[in-house]
Amino acid sequence: MAGKPGTTPTTYSPSPTNQKIRRPIFNENEVDWVRPDGRGFHQCRPAFFRTGAVNAASGSAYAEFGNTKVIVSVFGPRESKKAMMYSDIGRLNCSVSYTTFATPARGQGSEHKDFSSMLHKSLEGAIILETFPKTTVDVFALVLESGGSDLPVVISCASLALADAGILMHDLVASVSLSCLGKNLVIDPILEEESYQDGGLLITCMPSRYEVTQLTVTGEWSTPKINEGMQLCLDACSKLAKIMRSCLKEATSTSQE
Amino acid sequence: MGLPDAPGDLSSEVDVDAFRRLFPLRFYERHLTESIRPDGRPLGRARDTTIALGAVASAEGSALAKIGSTTMLAAIKMEVMTPSMDSPDEGCIAIDFHMPPICSPIVRPGRPAEIAPVVSKQLSDTISSSGMINLKELSLVSGKAAWMAYLDIYCLDADGALFDAALLSAVAAFSHLQIPAVSLNDDGKIVVVSEENGGKLEKDAVNKERMKLTLKSIPFSLTCVLHKNYILADPTAEEESIMETVVTVVLDSSSQLVSLYKPGGPVLAYTSAIQDCVALTRQRMKELQKILDEANSGMEVD
Repeated sequence: MAGKPGTTPTTYSPSPTNQKIRRPIFNENEVDWVRPDGRGFHQCRPAFFRTGAVNAASGSAYAEFGNTKVIVSVFGPRESKKAMMYSDIGRLNCSVSYTTFATPARGQGSEHKDFSSMLHKSLEGAIILETFPKTTVDVFALVLESGGSDLPVVISCASLALADAGILMHDLVASVSLSCLGKNLVIDPILEEESYQDGGLLITCMPSRYEVTQLTVTGEWSTPKINEGMQLCLDACSKLAKIMRSCLKEATSTSQE
Repeated sequence: MGLPDAPGDLSSEVDVDAFRRLFPLRFYERHLTESIRPDGRPLGRARDTTIALGAVASAEGSALAKIGSTTMLAAIKMEVMTPSMDSPDEGCIAIDFHMPPICSPIVRPGRPAEIAPVVSKQLSDTISSSGMINLKELSLVSGKAAWMAYLDIYCLDADGALFDAALLSAVAAFSHLQIPAVSLNDDGKIVVVSEENGGKLEKDAVNKERMKLTLKSIPFSLTCVLHKNYILADPTAEEESIMETVVTVVLDSSSQLVSLYKPGGPVLAYTSAIQDCVALTRQRMKELQKILDEANSGMEVD
């Protein structure tokens, strides 16, 4: 399953459009600071996607960004729970869980109870719920290994799994996060960077429509930094969506052969 | 399309997929009389099996096992604990089998699968009774410190023969397990020797190098479905749901019987059928041993 990235274009780092303005910041006393995995501040980890990871599901996808590995299965549309009220539009049900060995210390994954609701909120705007009235679509994610930026990877992977299941969406949903460490913005942070961050920013968007479905800013930020961070994330999101799209195209072309 | 009046005529009128859904048992019996299964396998053959070692970087030992589309991910995390008074020079193994909602449409969050604790118990029984692992090897300082091995197995895709795949991933994870080097620090506590300062070990090094467990008599299993006089090896989820009598035989690498499960089911297993299942398992054990050896030798090359 741990396929080798590199067959498809897998880097989605934002392009250095206004790099010139930022450069002076790096030229101060922090030049010698390097990221633990040797990446540039605005360089993302290689992204690897594969659809159809779970045969028992209606649709599924596996994503691997560095050491962050997740599987998302989609079931349905299927009958809603009996206790549910009648609904003209479909329901979306999301759940994110961690394996006990996902985190460095055993069983830390249960700290992320908010991820299920975050996943739901970032997807519900993209799915055309009117197409499956009275029924429920279940999106279940399992983080096999947590290597940082878990939630954005889960969200992107989930939208790919939904596409694999043939659920109608306005657009693919891509998600990228960013950490603010001192004066620097590091994109797609790993676990270590996330633990030291002064502030975090997560953008979930539909790149083709240029619509943001979720924006979360935590910690200490200045307004210019937020603007800069948002631009970086949006740029990376649109590139990430291209990688996701090429993964879907690849899957259909191999199934036709 | 008009509705045919008698189910006897249906086979010629409805298409294969509809017939399969409406009359699953008759669909299978038609195949069985021809000694073939809907997926093209002969009755006694197991599905393609693969093992990938080291799938989880955050664990000391891990393996991904696939039998057909049934997928299991097993990982072992090691922690230092104080051994119990009864066995001061033995470590401990805790085995847990999980079926997260991603693996099957029948599992939903908050409503776990009934089979998960059953498989979990079978796995711990099998691994402890096979004597594969010498718990004394997990001891660090007698009476003071020993290793606690947490083995967690996650079912990523459930398509029948869950126990077989889970056991295979578990033994593969143990064969991949590298016990970290640890030493005793000045406070009498065990500390892990990290890679960077590995050169200058303290004088109280407990085990100086990372080591592997010696596995003797590895258990391998095969699940068979019994239906009338037919024995189907390595059933898919569909086969398990239609024909409910299953027999699981576990043999170790010297062909000794470790355990045998026949959890109820409408078909009574005659002794001859049980013997046939054991014979099939013996063949399968050799196949699995070869696959595991190949996976391990592949790791040594890297």
